Amino acid sequence: MQLIWNGLIVGSFYSLVALGYSMVYGIIKLLNFAHGDIYMLGSFVGFVVLSSFGGIPASASIPALLAILLLAMVVTGLIGVGIERVAYRPLRRSPRLAVLITAIGVSFTLEYGIRQIFGPNPRAFPVRLSSESFDALGVRVSVSQLVLVIVAAVLMFVLAHIVERTREGRAMRAIALDPQAAHLMGVNVNRVIATVFFIGSALAGAAGVMAGAYYGSIDFLMGFVIGLKAFTAAVIGGIGNLYGAMLGGLLLGLLESFGSAWLGGEWRDVFSFLVLILILTFKPTGLLGNRVVERM
Amino acid sequence: MSAPSARPARFITALLAAGTIAVTAGCSGGLAGGSPDASGSAEGPIALGMLAPFSGSESAFGAYMENGAQLAIQEINEAGGVLGQQLELVVEDDACDATASVAAANKLVTEGIVASVGGYCSGATLPTLPIFDQAGIPMVIPAANSNDLPDAGLPGVFLINGTGTQQAQSALQYAQEQGAASVAVIDDATSYSADLAGAFVEQATEAGVEVAFEATVTPGENDYASVATQLAQEAPDVVYWTGYYQEGALINRQSVDAGFSGTFMVADGSVDASFAEITGEGYTENVVGTFTQTPDMLTGAETWIADYEELAGEAPGPYSTQAYDAVRIVAQAIEDAGSTEFDAVVAALEGLDGFETFAGPLTFTDAHTRDSGGFVIVSIDPESGEFVLEDDLLG
Repeated sequence: MQLIWNGLIVGSFYSLVALGYSMVYGIIKLLNFAHGDIYMLGSFVGFVVLSSFGGIPASASIPALLAILLLAMVVTGLIGVGIERVAYRPLRRSPRLAVLITAIGVSFTLEYGIRQIFGPNPRAFPVRLSSESFDALGVRVSVSQLVLVIVAAVLMFVLAHIVERTREGRAMRAIALDPQAAHLMGVNVNRVIATVFFIGSALAGAAGVMAGAYYGSIDFLMGFVIGLKAFTAAVIGGIGNLYGAMLGGLLLGLLESFGSAWLGGEWRDVFSFLVLILILTFKPTGLLGNRVVERM
Repeated sequence: MSAPSARPARFITALLAAGTIAVTAGCSGGLAGGSPDASGSAEGPIALGMLAPFSGSESAFGAYMENGAQLAIQEINEAGGVLGQQLELVVEDDACDATASVAAANKLVTEGIVASVGGYCSGATLPTLPIFDQAGIPMVIPAANSNDLPDAGLPGVFLINGTGTQQAQSALQYAQEQGAASVAVIDDATSYSADLAGAFVEQATEAGVEVAFEATVTPGENDYASVATQLAQEAPDVVYWTGYYQEGALINRQSVDAGFSGTFMVADGSVDASFAEITGEGYTENVVGTFTQTPDMLTGAETWIADYEELAGEAPGPYSTQAYDAVRIVAQAIEDAGSTEFDAVVAALEGLDGFETFAGPLTFTDAHTRDSGGFVIVSIDPESGEFVLEDDLLG
């Protein structure tokens, strides 16, 4: 049971980051390798804002953190839109490889830009969620974990609502099916793609702030591994499929939790990337990926 | 200083290499000024090289080591230098990374250093041993202390920090003094960490202390829930973390959250003020560390600290004293040898007897490690978050 809970915690981070990956891929078929670094940017935005405020009393930490979370989401969302505008939009009609390489370039730019500003050392995140814990059903649950899972669930619920029920969401789904046809039908393709980048990046930024508050240590390379893991999660669930990304993230968290309990912590990454290879080999569309529509 | 022809062949090779580069640079125009005078090591200052991390997760230690070494060089130069020549420190960044350290070591060799006084991360120092050995450059390693270093069996390698075996002894001694019946150990698979963990397990088993479990984690992750859960379940009295501070601080916090209530003991790689900051308030009472003494823990080092602060503009930190001692040891050996020739310097280092260092009088063993480890136990001061002396293990 403890393993399951541990897995769900990590899984909710993966899910949030994987959503952005999956949305962007679903719409413009781009693997946005800079996405993990948006997560890192989120935690640094939180770090800067919180540091400039000085001390925040522990009693106010949850509301303060939620405010920071929203702020960081807006900032990283805008950064995401900016990246799309500067680095991806000019290349939209280029071969896919070109865009992929640009994405990697953006990733390095973000990582080493942050390193230039904040230095290579890990920083301690200024606010911690209280770690009072209690036992429920034989599982040790801390308040911070609970807050984290709830925030992640709320964000995912809001996202699902946007995609399923709003005009913007319908436009997104239309573009995913066929951008040209959507364009002919009067959908502002550029605007919708920008929106997708905004939402995806905001979710990653939110995950970054939560990771900072939960783990307490942030550094300029923290986005790299989680970027790969989120990609794995998106593939497990079926890349381009939102529910797949959520499911894939949680599954990957669980797999890692059990994998490292059985094999030892140092095997965790081996285990998760082995799963990636297996999925790619035997079911490249992922678990929920049956609805993939091949465009002509 | 003796003529180049008196030096062993490998040293000449290094000089030739340095010369070639200087000449090439000269031909290509204007870069020669950046290279040391290749033929002039008989007249110019005696160059000592230092590899230390100035970037990466361990970058804080590079400056502490460099400033400590600079202080020693300044003092020696003011007192007239060595063999009538001034000393000079050449510093390169190894980033605590094996690839970077090999490149940096080669650079130092081409810059014509006569001895190395660096080495912080064992994993980054290890691959540089053959490079310095082939160039005929003796190494006095101030900080890195994996048993792999002396085990390489190279004649020019000397360790002035206690080895993993000695550190493990101190850790076990403290654990037993605290009445621990069971211990656990977690390492991060780096050379230094795995080595220390292995030594600790071996000694604990010999001493009849139950080893509840051994675990290895991957550095650079944030989530160590699986090992934290394991710790809480096995509930050893003492767990020994042998890696560096960033992961150590996270593991400590997550273990306490998971319900672990024993002592979290860390090795010297984790003894850093950032540990308390990352692990967070209220998570430091159970933390102790095995460490070599730093000046602020010593009595009677006020003048030294003042000198250091004047030079560096900040307080000394971990390994400042060891780097300071490393330079003095090398200077003494060159003075004793009467030359910078490899065999003579190595013989002089082997001949040092009770040389006064911050960690006590130093005599090298046959394995080129110090005969007494000089480790103490430190704990975290809840006010400042700094590690302070808890127990000097002298009884």
